[in-house]
Amino acid sequence: MLVFTRKLDEGIVIGDGVEVRVLRLGRGTVRLGVIAARHVPIHRREIYDQIRSVNVRAASDAGAATELAARLRQRINE
Amino acid sequence: MNPHTPDSVVDFHDGLPGFETCRRYILVRSTACAPFTVLQGIDGEKPPAFVAIDPQLVQQGYAKALESLDLTRLDAREGDPLLWLSLVATQADGQATVNLRAPVVINPRSMRGIQLVSSDAAYALDHPLLAA
Repeated sequence: MLVFTRKLDEGIVIGDGVEVRVLRLGRGTVRLGVIAARHVPIHRREIYDQIRSVNVRAASDAGAATELAARLRQRINE
Repeated sequence: MNPHTPDSVVDFHDGLPGFETCRRYILVRSTACAPFTVLQGIDGEKPPAFVAIDPQLVQQGYAKALESLDLTRLDAREGDPLLWLSLVATQADGQATVNLRAPVVINPRSMRGIQLVSSDAAYALDHPLLAA
């Protein structure tokens, strides 16, 4: 991991078009601004992780998914 | 396995959270599985597959707004009908749940897809599929 020390109003630039700037420092919090191209998705880490863990639980392989779909179809038709 | 022509492949440019390297999926539908759809990855050695269902079938009146960033990522033009799918997970107790909070949205015209990384508490990540 690259580690930087930044002051208020300073930032870092990532790749071609992403900039992260320190907007405000609080007690135990920091307010960041992100400048990026419109198509670049930006997420809060914990939200992304939450959805990732739900996805991991939902994932299987093609055969198992087809079986589960058929089984669920039966159950909702009962 | 499932024969697919290039125009039936949906491109998820950022993958799905947890499966970022699998970017291409096909939608497998059959009468044996309806109303469920299988969203089947085709990239990598062990691509993931998901059981999915239209969230409106799970919860009446289901509606989530898309931000302009989402529409850009879907290459959506006004009037493009979008396909909404919620992924189904099986819990340890065997109960099937549906992720209504972070649905997959596909634009069939551009064949691009995204998953909404949403913190919208109005919808659950694990909504029971069948009412208890």
